[in-house]
Amino acid sequence: METKRTERERKVSEVSKDQREMRQKGDGSPSGDSLTLGMKIQDLSAFYGSFKALTDVSIDVRANKVTALIGPSGCGKSTFIRCLNRMHEVVPGARAEGHVMLGEQDIYAKTSDPVVIRRRIGMVFQKPNPFSKSIYENVAWGARINGYRGNMDELVERSLKHAALWEEVKDRLKESGHGLSGGQQQRLCIARTLAVEPEVILMDEPASALDPVSTQKIEDTMEQLKQEYTVVIVTHNMQQAARISDYTGFFYIESMGDPGRLWEFDETEKMFSNPDRKETEDYVTGRFG
Amino acid sequence: MPRETFQQELDGLTSDLLDLGREVEVSLENMVRAMEGRDADVARQELGVDIRYKTRGMDIERECMILQARQAPVAGDLRLLYTVQSVTNHLVRSGTLCEHICHAIVDTEGCERDEDLETALVEMARTARNVFNEGLDVFENRDIDRARNLQAKDDKVDLLYSEAMNLIANPSGDGGAPEWRMRAALMVHYLERISDHGVDIGGSAVFLVTGQRIEDAMQQYLDRNVDHDGGGA
Repeated sequence: METKRTERERKVSEVSKDQREMRQKGDGSPSGDSLTLGMKIQDLSAFYGSFKALTDVSIDVRANKVTALIGPSGCGKSTFIRCLNRMHEVVPGARAEGHVMLGEQDIYAKTSDPVVIRRRIGMVFQKPNPFSKSIYENVAWGARINGYRGNMDELVERSLKHAALWEEVKDRLKESGHGLSGGQQQRLCIARTLAVEPEVILMDEPASALDPVSTQKIEDTMEQLKQEYTVVIVTHNMQQAARISDYTGFFYIESMGDPGRLWEFDETEKMFSNPDRKETEDYVTGRFG
Repeated sequence: MPRETFQQELDGLTSDLLDLGREVEVSLENMVRAMEGRDADVARQELGVDIRYKTRGMDIERECMILQARQAPVAGDLRLLYTVQSVTNHLVRSGTLCEHICHAIVDTEGCERDEDLETALVEMARTARNVFNEGLDVFENRDIDRARNLQAKDDKVDLLYSEAMNLIANPSGDGGAPEWRMRAALMVHYLERISDHGVDIGGSAVFLVTGQRIEDAMQQYLDRNVDHDGGGA
């Protein structure tokens, strides 16, 4: 029995190797396709003081696609996404090494201004965090401090429409953002992010604190957003990753104390139907742990 | 292990599927025996199995649907449920075809037969049964190498199909009773289909294990051998 299983695993491994060789190219792209690149991350490692939380992550983020990052708690997903717009270094003692290219610009180059980077690469957090201002000001504020000189009313309306919130708030723009439901507040935060016209939107578990209906609205919003933006989302909800993303990266820690690694990265369809690595299969099928 | 209950449900489902497969194997064995011995009584035992197999098949498909709805399976679990549904369909259809053949044997009891055609039919029935049994065994053991070889065994059935059809169209003697010859034409077709179902059941093991359809896996396998041959030259 044991021999038979071992033989079977060998055959599976051989086929998987063939598939990997076919699908993966030397540039670390998921399938070697020629889609437009949104961001290119090379050999990225992240530290909290002397502790290495993440090691050697290389990944091509495709433009106008949704890339989902999944993995068990503590594997470095949120650390990774925070490295993508230099939010990681805000934590005292935290630093990152490696290259994160946004177009031709390495966001970790000495000449790169973190403030400008965070405008170009916006972020939506797990818990909605609207300012204690009106709905209108929540959206307009970021654009205003960035020196936006266009028609602010139009910008607010456009941003709220892109965040699929306009119809629900257009008659109460002067009311406080805190008066909205949790799902509406999260979409308000998305609108706020969109108002500064970023190129990439990072989302760190944006729907984890929301009810199913609000979650669905956020997911529908993402489908719209990728028409104009590149989206990277961290989620613990694997069905959500399967529903909304075009590419999925699985982060994993081999043993306690080790840094997190990007274990497998491919098209979402592949990751949820026939992943190459056993750990990915165990995780997406819930056999992990 | 997490999802232990789900794993038990998957194991139970696979077990139900294999039980159904074993029952169809018994029906096919009886069919062959009835053909070999011109034994209508043995064939009669199989009349009515169609409904039983369809009911069992529906039960398995219902369980697959419930597991998909409740457990949201992905990756290997999803492939297993898809494969179980597909194999169930092949098993039920094979059982139905088996009953059709047994009906034909019962209905033509005592009819005069063309011996050459009957010999070809019996040989075809034995081969189709063997392909079916092997297909089920390949699926049970997930033996993807043997799945690749099943197609070659099915080729023999295809050859016998051509031979039998030729004998029906051009009988060597008087060709036996017209009713028997007409039924023989249908039996030839049914046996060819049973063999095809056996090949597909075995081939589903390739998809289950690798995620590839057997046709794609075969092409990749052949390409690799060509590459190896070229490299060695």
